[in-house]
Amino acid sequence: MLKMENITKIYRTGLVETRALRDFTLEVREGEFVTITGPSGSGKTTFLNVAGLLDAFEHGHYFLDGADVSRLSDVQMSRIRNEKIGFIFQSFNLIPDLDVFDNVDVPLRYRGLPAKERKERIESAVARVGLSSRMRHVPSQLSGGQQQRVAIARVLAGDPKLILADEPTGNLDTAMAREIMDLLEQINEAGTTIVMVTHNPEHAARAHRQLHIADGRVIDFERVTPFPLNRTGAESRQAAR
Amino acid sequence: MLTHNLWLAWKSVRRNPILSFLIIAGIALGVAVSTSFVTVWHVLAKDPIPGKSDRLHYVRLDSWDPVQPWDEEDNAPPPLLTYQDMRAAMKSDIPVRKAAMAQTALYVYPGSPDQRPFREAVRLTFSDFFPMFDVPFQYGSGWSPAADAKPEAVTVISSELNERLFGGRDSVGERLRLADREFRIVGVLAPWRPKVLVYDMSQNPYAEPEQIFIPFNLFEPMALSATGNQITWTRVDGNTFMERARNSEMIWIGMWAEFDNAGQRQAYLDFLNAYVNEQKKAGRFQRPLNNRLTAVVDLMEEWEVVPRQAKALAVISLLFLVIAALNLIGLFLGKFLARASVVGVRRALGASRRAIFLQHLVECELIGLIGGACGLLLSLGTLALVNRYYQPAGVEEKFFTLDPGMMLAAIGFALLAGAIAGVYPAWRICSIPPARHLKNQ
Repeated sequence: MLKMENITKIYRTGLVETRALRDFTLEVREGEFVTITGPSGSGKTTFLNVAGLLDAFEHGHYFLDGADVSRLSDVQMSRIRNEKIGFIFQSFNLIPDLDVFDNVDVPLRYRGLPAKERKERIESAVARVGLSSRMRHVPSQLSGGQQQRVAIARVLAGDPKLILADEPTGNLDTAMAREIMDLLEQINEAGTTIVMVTHNPEHAARAHRQLHIADGRVIDFERVTPFPLNRTGAESRQAAR
Repeated sequence: MLTHNLWLAWKSVRRNPILSFLIIAGIALGVAVSTSFVTVWHVLAKDPIPGKSDRLHYVRLDSWDPVQPWDEEDNAPPPLLTYQDMRAAMKSDIPVRKAAMAQTALYVYPGSPDQRPFREAVRLTFSDFFPMFDVPFQYGSGWSPAADAKPEAVTVISSELNERLFGGRDSVGERLRLADREFRIVGVLAPWRPKVLVYDMSQNPYAEPEQIFIPFNLFEPMALSATGNQITWTRVDGNTFMERARNSEMIWIGMWAEFDNAGQRQAYLDFLNAYVNEQKKAGRFQRPLNNRLTAVVDLMEEWEVVPRQAKALAVISLLFLVIAALNLIGLFLGKFLARASVVGVRRALGASRRAIFLQHLVECELIGLIGGACGLLLSLGTLALVNRYYQPAGVEEKFFTLDPGMMLAAIGFALLAGAIAGVYPAWRICSIPPARHLKNQ
C-alpha cells in the first residue's frame, strides 16, 4: 500500500539545514495497522506529511497503492489526497464555522460527487460514529471525543485506502481514547490501511506492527499481532461491506 | 462549486463583520467616485443627438485672411459664416434640411400690466431648425417655410417663458410683443435642456437653449444686432449692424445642413466649392480651398466640446479606485492568513492550490460586488447632488444619470477592485505549504 525508499527530507532555515528524514525506508502492506512511536523531533510528523503528500521531499521514491507518487503536480497530489488518503489529527482539525454535516462534506465536495451521493455518504458515516443526532452542531458545541468522531466520519465518508492518524487520542481522556481506538480498529478490520503516530504504548500495542523512529530513520520494529498476509486489504474491505 | 464558494464567502463576510465592513466601505468609496466621474464624462462625451448625428453637418467656408489663417495649428476654417456666404449656402436645395442661425437679445413686453418688460436672448433661425434638432413641442409647432420667406412675425417660445407669461396654458395664437413688433406664437416647446447645445457649440456648448425663436429673415427688417461672436479680419464700416456685416468679411452666422446620404453631402460640398471658386474670381476667398461639412461628433471632437478636465477627472477617479483597491490588499491578506490553518485542513482533504485560490478570489469578488452595490447607491446620491446644481427648473429628465452601460461599468469597476485587492492575498494563501499550519490549529 505504502512504500518509501531512501527518502530524505531537509528543512532549511537560513543557513541551517535540518534532515528530518534520512534514507527513510518503509513498506506498509494493504490492510495493515501500523503505529509509529518515537521521541519529539524524530521525524514522525514529517513522515506523515510526506506520506500524506502534504510535503515534498528531496531524494528517494515513494509508491502509494502501486503508483510512483514521488513527483506529481499539485492537482494530481490533491486528487490522491482526496481519494486515497484520510487524515485524522490530534487537534481534530474540523472547520470551526461548519456544522457536522458540512465538515464531513468538505472532501466529498472536492471530489465533485453529486449532492445525493454526498448526502448518503455523510449520513452513513456520521451514523457509524454515532453522531446522527448532532448533524447540525458546530464543533464548539461538541466534546473532544465527539469532534474526533466527526473527523473520523469525515474520513469514512471519503472511503480512503489509507488513513494517516497523527496522535488521534492525544487530546482525549482515557475512556474517550479507547472508544476512538476501537473505532479505528473496526475501520482497519474492514480493510483500510492505518498508519498511526502515537506516544501511548497501550494504543501502539493494538496495531499489527509498531515502528520506532529516531533521527529521521526507522530504527526498530516489532510485530505485535499476526497480520493475515494471505488476505489483501481489498478483500477485507469487500468482506466488510 | 461556484455557489458553494459563494456560500463560504458569505459565511466569511459574516464571521468578521467589522473587517468586512472596512473592506466593503473602501471599495464602495472607490466605485462611487469612479462611477460618478466616469458618468459625468460619459454623459458629456456621448452622442448628443443619436440617430441624427451622422446626418447633421456643420457648414464652414474658409473666407479668412490670406495672410493669417484662422487656425495655424490644424488649418481649420473659421467656425462661422459671413452674411453673404450664408445666403449663398442657403440657396441650395441639395440638403434635406438646412438652417442658418444667430443670436440676438430683445425686450419682451408681457401682456399683463403686472409684469415689467425684460430682455431675453433670442435665436434667429429657419423653419428647418426644429425638425433638424428634434426640438420637442408641448403646443403647436415650428413655423412654415412660407413664414421664413415672407418673413412673418411668428415665434416659438420655451415652456419656461410660456409658464412665466401665460401660466403654462396653450398660448399658441396669442400675441407677444418683442422689441417694437407684435409676434404671433405658433409653438411652445416642451421642457428642453439638451446636454450639449448641438446647434451652437462655437460659444458655450453647455448653455441653455434660448427662450425665444424667430425667423432669421426678420433680422434686416427689424434692424437687429447679433449678440453672439462677431469676428472679422477686414475693416468694418457702416452705421447699422447689417451695413457692417455686408461691407466686411465679418463672420457671425452658424449653419447646419442635414443629408440623407454621403452622396448628398458630397454634392453639397461640391456646390459650396463651386461657389467659393466663383467668389475667388471676384477677389474673395484668397486662401486655398478649405470648405468643410463636419458631422456632430467629429465637430465635438475638433472643438474639444467635452472639457479635458472631465476626461482627466474620469481617469484620476479610476486611479483612485485602483489606489483604494491596492490599500485593501493588506486587509485581505490579514483576513486570509488568519485562517491559514483551515486552508491547511482543506488542502489535506483534497483541495488543490487552484481550488483554494478560486475560493478566496470568489470571496474578494463577492465583497467587491457588495462594495460595488453600495458604491452605486453612493454614486446615485453624488449624481443627484450634481444634478441639483446643474438641472434647469421644469426639466424632468436628469442630466447625469446612470444608464445601463454605466451600471455595468460600475459592476466592472467593483470586480476590478475586488480582483486588484484580492489576487495577491488569494495567491499567498494558496501557496502556503499545507503541512505548515495543520499542527497549529
